[in-house]
Amino acid sequence: MRSLLLAVLAAYVVSSIHVVLAFLNKRRALQRVSEWAMGIGFLLHTTALIADWVIYGEYPLFYLREALAFLAWALVGSYFLVLYRYQARPLGIFTLPLVSLLIFIAITTRSEPIGSVEASSVSASRLFPLHASLLFFAYAAFFVVFVASVMYLLQERELKLKKFSAIFHRLPSLTTVNEIATSSAAIGLTLLTVGIATGMVWSSSRDGRLWHNDPKEIFAALTWLLYLLLILYRSTASWRGRRAAWMGVLGFVLVLCTFFGARLMGGYHVFG
Amino acid sequence: MSIVLVGINHKTAPIEVRERLAFTDAACATGLRSLVDGDIVREGLIVSTCNRVEVLTETNHQQLEATAERVTNFLSRSELLPRSLFEPHLYKHTDDQAVRHLFRVTSSLDSMVIGEPQVLGQVRRAYSIALEAGTAGRVLNRLVHHSFRVAKRVRTETGIGSNAVSISYMAVELGKKIFNSLKGRTALLIGAGEMAELSARHLVNAGVSRVLLANRTEGPAERLANELGGEFVPLDELSNHLATADIVICSTAASEFVITEAMAREALSKRRNRPSFFIDISVPRNIDPAVGTIPNVFVFDIDDLESVISSNIREREREAERAELIVESEIMQFQQSLRVLDIGPTIGALRQKLQDIAKLELTRQRNRLGSLTPEQENAIEALLMSTVNKISHPVLSHIRSSHEIRDTDNIQAWRDIFGLEE
Repeated sequence: MRSLLLAVLAAYVVSSIHVVLAFLNKRRALQRVSEWAMGIGFLLHTTALIADWVIYGEYPLFYLREALAFLAWALVGSYFLVLYRYQARPLGIFTLPLVSLLIFIAITTRSEPIGSVEASSVSASRLFPLHASLLFFAYAAFFVVFVASVMYLLQERELKLKKFSAIFHRLPSLTTVNEIATSSAAIGLTLLTVGIATGMVWSSSRDGRLWHNDPKEIFAALTWLLYLLLILYRSTASWRGRRAAWMGVLGFVLVLCTFFGARLMGGYHVFG
Repeated sequence: MSIVLVGINHKTAPIEVRERLAFTDAACATGLRSLVDGDIVREGLIVSTCNRVEVLTETNHQQLEATAERVTNFLSRSELLPRSLFEPHLYKHTDDQAVRHLFRVTSSLDSMVIGEPQVLGQVRRAYSIALEAGTAGRVLNRLVHHSFRVAKRVRTETGIGSNAVSISYMAVELGKKIFNSLKGRTALLIGAGEMAELSARHLVNAGVSRVLLANRTEGPAERLANELGGEFVPLDELSNHLATADIVICSTAASEFVITEAMAREALSKRRNRPSFFIDISVPRNIDPAVGTIPNVFVFDIDDLESVISSNIREREREAERAELIVESEIMQFQQSLRVLDIGPTIGALRQKLQDIAKLELTRQRNRLGSLTPEQENAIEALLMSTVNKISHPVLSHIRSSHEIRDTDNIQAWRDIFGLEE
């Protein structure tokens, strides 16, 4: 498993390096290398996740290393989708290095269960895989919103100041990044909503309570509210452009709080 | 086989000299036919544009000087064009230098505005004239095609052509940056100046589907509106149309603001906050600078455009440095391909000659062999061919290695021994 993940890491590192070089040098050949390496990495990664699941007989989302590997997988998947739909290659220079880092941490982290809950009792439920994976996909979508928003803000600022840096010409247009942010936010919110709902159903089936007031739940609720507002504002068109982009950034900060912050504060949720 | 290039360009000669030296297309063709004599000058091509006159020739390498001399005389084609007029401005390049020069010209590294795309078309045109005149042979064919390839590489792998360096094209480039594609967008021209017209043409070429033209008077504006397939709108109805326009180009002679902050705000709210892009090329300014502070509205005045253009030119110069590296690596590749070109026919002819001898002998002696099965016949032929190949192998490898070290005399000696004519 470890060697497979090492191969995945190697592929993603190659892909990251080439996507950055392609961004700087504008060479299609480099971009192609990056995409091939990413594709191979993604296939190996998928294999690794499935193998993990089959060998240990439990959904590969319980340990921290598994959570990180899964999150990385979701990020690559979402980058694929954006690449396919919008050809927004510069997203890769944010996504791929992060993915490589996550895989690296996943490899170096020892695989001991975190927290007190027995793995078997958690993953025995059918709702757990659904709950956790939906939320991971939502996080990946919000990461895309975040990056698109950052690209928006960078370019909007340069357009307003009329001073263009070298990267200005290499980023996708304002309209494109805006569309990416809008559709990813909608997808992310949908996933988040269903993810939270399944979590509640699962929780009530375990101990009859929908809500535990644990930090992760509170952050998740705040995140949910923020993205809901973002989408409402966007659809009524009163907030376009910069303000919406700032919300996309802020929302991601909340997502990070949900993901990491809650872990530090402890509580009912014990894993990522 | 050597390449000689003689020419003048905008860096070495003033316009007064360039214009007198320039060739028309017809003069190119007739000139080339008289220049290329098949002896000293074996192939030729003339690139003549407003910025340059270049004569590219192919000759053998004992006659570099003679060729350059001949081309110089050729350029001084009448008494009105004495050599003394242009000779001080002339540059003469040979071999690698000449190849480098052509690659740089075709890739637009030698242009007045680095990265401008027209020069490639001009070289293409010059090449097709030379082809028609029958003066572009196997060396120039390769060289020119290679230079097109270099130009393409430079264009795709560097940014020398990517950032606009003219005000009229800026509208398209910034428009694309904001709207991604200009397809289906609406442009509003206020005032029908020359610059506005040029910008509008670029916008229409880039896909803008609707052009509105607002002007104080109807006459010339309406003519322009018809030409661009646009609609004329009276200036006092401006505020009604502002909301439909994604791109607004303002160039009137008015001394007050034609578009005020209030107008822009109103238009934006009618547009449901969709971004809009204002270009103000008039002096004094026609768009209130305060419009630029409204979110989702982007305003560029003439100074902004100029400063972006000068930074784009600097960017192109930086990119040109990377392009030079591409050119250098391509020169090496070209020299290699030329070497193959040089040796290919010799080796082919030698092989052919020996095989022909073997086949001829076989047909002569065939009767004496009596009846043979097809297998036997094939075996005899194979035997002959492999004998011929084994014998010629050391000779061929010897020729190849002389070719590597450019020992043309040795190659010629082998050609003489085997009686291979040119």
